[in-house]
Amino acid sequence: MSEYYSPEEAQDVFLKANEAYAREDYAVAQAGYEKLLSHGHGGADVLYNLGTTHLARGDLGRAVLSLEQARKQGGRAPDLEANLAVARARQVDKVVGATAEEEFLPRVTAATEGTVVAWTFLGTWVGALLLLLVWRWLTPGRRTGVGVVAALLFAVAVPSGLLLAAHAWVEETVHEAVVLTPTLVARELPQPGARSIFEVHAGLKVRLLEETGRFVRIRLPNGLEGWAEREGVAEI
Amino acid sequence: MRRTGSSGPVAVLVGLALLASAPAWAAGLEFYQTVNREEVGSEDTFLLTVVTVDAPADAKVKLPASDDFEVVNSSRSTQRSVSWSGGGPANIQDVTKYVLVMRANRAGKLTIPPSEMTTGGKTHRTDSVRIDVKPGRLGPPPAQAGRQRLPDPFAQMPSRLPDPFADEPEDEPTIPRGDSDLFLRSSLDRDEIFVGEQVTLSLYIYSRVDLSSVDAVTMPKLEGFWTEEVESPTQLSGEQKVVDGVPYRAYLLRRRALFPVKSGTLNISPAEADITTGFLFAGHRVHRVSNGLKVKVAPLPPGAPPGMSNANVGQWRLSVDVSQTRVELGQPVTVKVILEGTGNVKNVTPPKLTGPAALKIYDPTTTDKVTPQRNRVQGRRVVEYLVMPQRTGNFTLPGLEFPFFDARTRKYEVASTDPINVTVESAAGGATLPPTTSAHVADSANEQKNVLTSGGLRPVRYQARFVAPAEPLWKRGFFVPLVLAPLGLLAGAALLGGVRGRLATRSEADKGRQQAKASRKRLAEAEKLRAGADAGAFYTEVEKALHGFLGARLGGPVIGLTREAIGERMTAAGVAQERRARVLYVLEACDLGRYGGGGDAAARQKVMDAAVAAMEGWA
Repeated sequence: MSEYYSPEEAQDVFLKANEAYAREDYAVAQAGYEKLLSHGHGGADVLYNLGTTHLARGDLGRAVLSLEQARKQGGRAPDLEANLAVARARQVDKVVGATAEEEFLPRVTAATEGTVVAWTFLGTWVGALLLLLVWRWLTPGRRTGVGVVAALLFAVAVPSGLLLAAHAWVEETVHEAVVLTPTLVARELPQPGARSIFEVHAGLKVRLLEETGRFVRIRLPNGLEGWAEREGVAEI
Repeated sequence: MRRTGSSGPVAVLVGLALLASAPAWAAGLEFYQTVNREEVGSEDTFLLTVVTVDAPADAKVKLPASDDFEVVNSSRSTQRSVSWSGGGPANIQDVTKYVLVMRANRAGKLTIPPSEMTTGGKTHRTDSVRIDVKPGRLGPPPAQAGRQRLPDPFAQMPSRLPDPFADEPEDEPTIPRGDSDLFLRSSLDRDEIFVGEQVTLSLYIYSRVDLSSVDAVTMPKLEGFWTEEVESPTQLSGEQKVVDGVPYRAYLLRRRALFPVKSGTLNISPAEADITTGFLFAGHRVHRVSNGLKVKVAPLPPGAPPGMSNANVGQWRLSVDVSQTRVELGQPVTVKVILEGTGNVKNVTPPKLTGPAALKIYDPTTTDKVTPQRNRVQGRRVVEYLVMPQRTGNFTLPGLEFPFFDARTRKYEVASTDPINVTVESAAGGATLPPTTSAHVADSANEQKNVLTSGGLRPVRYQARFVAPAEPLWKRGFFVPLVLAPLGLLAGAALLGGVRGRLATRSEADKGRQQAKASRKRLAEAEKLRAGADAGAFYTEVEKALHGFLGARLGGPVIGLTREAIGERMTAAGVAQERRARVLYVLEACDLGRYGGGGDAAARQKVMDAAVAAMEGWA
């Protein structure tokens, strides 16, 4: 799993980072969590602790980034949602009309767990096809029970397959990011001297649409779009 | 006629009356002097008027001089009147007046020496004038006082409202001895006030000479007062003022609002200034000291609300401005307590904002805006509080009260505000306590409790499940093969079944072909028997060959079947009529040959040919 740490060593680093956090030595705590991540000992728990440490340090952008990554990897959790709410409350930006135009598929995939969907599809699909094979070898009098079970499995496999396809599509096409810099200017064109359209601030969640040079086109949840410096955002 | 003196205004009036009623005297020389008051204070000025009527052109008037008096100012005017009476010649009269503004140098019964007029080698003298000088200041003469003290028709009104446009009472300075051309004057707009009430101190320069600059001004020590600058001109700007009949230019140096902080008689020490007069090299610098002042400060009347500060004097309005009354948990509310009005803005303390424990109120910041108008200090003091809700619910910030003493109405008043309801809602996405009813929360929130708020950061997790960064399941290498494998398996099974079916079909055909081949081979054996002696064997062999062939072509053995049955099967198999007839002919010929003697060789050959023809072309 890791090139450098055994599980015991990773646990030791994790506990020491927690102790540093407890004595409000946030820099040491942050370094500990980041060391675990860089050595392959990540996960939702480490990311949550890192986000909370960033939040305690006042680094709103990286706090939201880590917490969103923790949610993406480990799903929703009460403490995670609470700290995300605290981070949102500290944000400077207030996006008006943010929920009106949120797309259907991202909402569906956000509401379901991709791994569970994938396993469900795989299990039911393989099971249904195997039962179909068995059904072929059975004599007509013994086929009914096997056929019913196979049909049920197909009934689960088809929608779960569609949901899995939605996950795959969102994974490939929807790129969400968090603003890291305190102030990020969105311009009309991907040029440094282009007219600025609006400003966003650390911690705001945006969507990356395309990239050219050192600029990315960002879209706010309310549909507002502009070109911003690539370094100012980090993909979740 | 020659008048040689007068003892007062009465004499002047009598003289003027006689002058008016006896025009025959008008052509005579008159010379007299009068004063405008017989009793005067040592600090007061009075007017001595010396009059000559029809004095010759060469007449020289010598005005009185005495060590007991000083002449503050003097002026001279001449008047000529022409009158006609009864058709006679016109009567022309020249009147010259010398007006001296004088002041006694000491108290007592003093005498102003006579004036002298020399003309044609002859000297005329007026009478001397006696005047009673009292110490100090007696005020203006009765005639002037009567002019200034007009009765106020509204003085007896029961509720006398303050007049905001009332002018400041005109200062009546006293011309100092020795520095009458240029002196410094401090004045107050009133002498008796309440504690905390404003009194305005003005410092003027009175000058009858040209001023170049004011180099330094030392304001008096104002112990016992809270002071606020009202006016401090940066440039000298004079206005004309007449003091005791003497014209001056008055320059305002400073104007300050004083708010006494204690009662009693408070002294204000003199101010000082260094003033440069004249222009350029002709100017010189002088030092002037103003007069001292006293003000009587009365304590506030009884009946003050408990806890009211002595600074709460004036006219005040209290209001509250709230940024929002509906707020999410974690969002602050800004509450501004605004106190505005007339009075000591910077020394009043607006009431402190209080609230339930669920609303944490941080220390406020205070901003003042003082805007003096008509020399009265007024403005607004804003105390801004940051209120942070600690939990959800409906809460009430109680109303505020600010008691003060209105010095104009001499009554205690209370400025107040209404209570403010604040609704705290759950923050979006945050885990918060559910809202409770307002009454319950309002009551319970005021109690001392261990408040467990939902705000703040949640702690870090003390246990971790370490996971290496991984791709989604559907991107892993096994996923797609695993999905496709059953499909492949199913397809393979289907393919295998098809192959097997085709293999089975192919063996039946081959069997038929083999049977047909065997039948032809048997027919070839029968050909060998055709020329033999055993005709039965020949026909038997031909029949067997044909039965075998039919069995292969019709998909089943035909041995044992009647010729009708064989004919029906061939019909069912779609065999052509000609072929069917040949087959039946051969079978019948074989029966006849076996049981009927066999026939000759030609008959055998014919049967052989029919059998070959029946088999040929039957795939």
